[in-house]
Amino acid sequence: MARAEIDLRNPSGLHARPAATFVRAAGGYASDVRVTNLTRDPSKSASAKSVIGVMGLGVARGHRVRLEADGTDAEVAVASLVELIAGGLGEALDDG
Amino acid sequence: MSERLAGLAAAPGVAIAAPWVYRPAVTGAGEGASLEEAASAASRDLELLAGRLRNDGRADEAAIFDAQALMATDEELIGLAAARVAGGEDAASAMGAAGEAVAATFEALDDELLSARAADVRDVAARIVRHVVGADAPSLDRRSIVVAVDLAPSVTVELDRDLLAGIALEGGSRTSHAAILARALAIPAVVGVPGLLERAATATEVAIDGGAGLVVLDPDEAARDSLAGAVQAAEAARRADSAYRDRPLATSDGHRVLCAANVAEPGEAAAAFADGAEGIGLFRTEFAFAGRGTPPSEEEQAAAYESVLRAAGDAPVVVRLADIGGDKPLPYLPIDPEANPFLGVRAIRLADRYPELFTTQVRAILRASERTGRPASIMAPMVADVADVAFVRELVREACAAVPNAPAPRVGIMVEIPSAVMLADQLAEMIDFMSIGTNDLTQYLLAVDRTNPAVAERQDPVHPAVLRAIARVVDAARATSRGCEVAVCGEMAGDPTGAALLVGLGVDELSMGPASFGSVKRAVAARSHDELRSLAQRAMTLRSAAEVRTLVGEA
Repeated sequence: MARAEIDLRNPSGLHARPAATFVRAAGGYASDVRVTNLTRDPSKSASAKSVIGVMGLGVARGHRVRLEADGTDAEVAVASLVELIAGGLGEALDDG
Repeated sequence: MSERLAGLAAAPGVAIAAPWVYRPAVTGAGEGASLEEAASAASRDLELLAGRLRNDGRADEAAIFDAQALMATDEELIGLAAARVAGGEDAASAMGAAGEAVAATFEALDDELLSARAADVRDVAARIVRHVVGADAPSLDRRSIVVAVDLAPSVTVELDRDLLAGIALEGGSRTSHAAILARALAIPAVVGVPGLLERAATATEVAIDGGAGLVVLDPDEAARDSLAGAVQAAEAARRADSAYRDRPLATSDGHRVLCAANVAEPGEAAAAFADGAEGIGLFRTEFAFAGRGTPPSEEEQAAAYESVLRAAGDAPVVVRLADIGGDKPLPYLPIDPEANPFLGVRAIRLADRYPELFTTQVRAILRASERTGRPASIMAPMVADVADVAFVRELVREACAAVPNAPAPRVGIMVEIPSAVMLADQLAEMIDFMSIGTNDLTQYLLAVDRTNPAVAERQDPVHPAVLRAIARVVDAARATSRGCEVAVCGEMAGDPTGAALLVGLGVDELSMGPASFGSVKRAVAARSHDELRSLAQRAMTLRSAAEVRTLVGEA
């Protein structure tokens, strides 16, 4: 089990395109990966491999998300997904 | 009696045509499919649409369909539907209900962007239902103005562009996907017209003015006259373009230039040749690497490349090595976060860290070549100087040793980095062809970020600085002893003004999305080779892209 928290900095939040980038990357790992939007609702989580689940968390700019992975590649999955979010998921970050 | 309805101006342009009232409800059933089959078929449709748009240089619009393709096989959406099927419901209504449920949760979020995506989910669900019941995709049988409450982007791009005269929607806003896409595709559109569907039900003709946000039902003489001038000009241009589609790409005095197609997916190659392509000038290979957790094997890639070489027959195919970078990171090729991905570890620069990415790809291209007996052209993106070309030549030499029975490939480079323009004389001596990527060349030469809308107006490839750069490349290629061809594969090649200038500058090949063949051929055929040459010479002496566009438009 691996876990990490990070703030989302994309100007328009986790909308369709960055969500798709994130979900595609998560799909590359064998582990189950769950995402929680701690800012909006800490009791609700979604599979990181579901674009609908991830978009449904309504992650806006400045929201804090928690990633939790369970499986053989859990450590790697969380580390690289955190790095992907920190890098802006393919989008320019206005404060980056 | 003509009736005028006011709405919101969504995409400029004027059109008069019969109304085609579209309601997304699915009727008629043929051969059915299971929920899972239907979902993956819908996902494939959407990926193809994304590829088509990306190939036309519309990456932003393509992203809409990329996300929808993921939704179509999403475990949450399909899980909801499957649970309803397990409870005894039929697959079509279960899917519809699942789409509604998910759309409702999106709408409940107090986030404008995300609640607007509810329409995307409904569209995905409707598409899956269509595959479940085996219904046909909506299609037009004559030139029409689509009248609907809302129009999903995936439906818009699937309708025959030659028959789609305009769009009038009862719902929607200027920022809805329907409006964004209409603007991108230059389809006149009016949105947000209250009561439109009910009133248009009995109309036999509809006129729209997308710039004024006006819909006129059954336009009378007076209304017609006021729109007629603009309509006629637009109609005439459209008809003239399609009349040129089957002709060769040539000046009025018969100077020929190769008319080639850009393709982003193997499936597009056959369609490009049916549209009159004389070769594939840019076969983008990123499709093989995107959307997966592990790199594609040599065999997987070889099969994909083989299908394109087969579709091409004797025509040339230029395969571009993967142009991957930090702007679209892949899970199996981690790149450290970069402040400027377009100036970072991108394309062949990745070879320092992941050499096997390119050795595998070049071997796969040669395998495809071996199996078809057709030589391939291998093109390296992001070449800066002689060291980069030497690296590519060595890569190809090693792969040729591993696949000794493949016909010898042609080797070329993308010219998109200004240093490659400055050093074009050195580079041209080492290769068989150069293809100028005008989108990136313009970005790098004028220092305008392609992804930043605030500087979008400065990104015009007919800028005199870009024209001078292209002239320099052509001169360098002409001066080589061994012969080096020059092609252009950026958006400039598919723009009538840009294409006319490129032929005047002396390029040998224009490669573009097949949708542009007609308008480009017409623009080039309007003048003799000498006229285009002096036009290009004059354009290079002007001071701005706007002055160049005025010159070409008036001359």
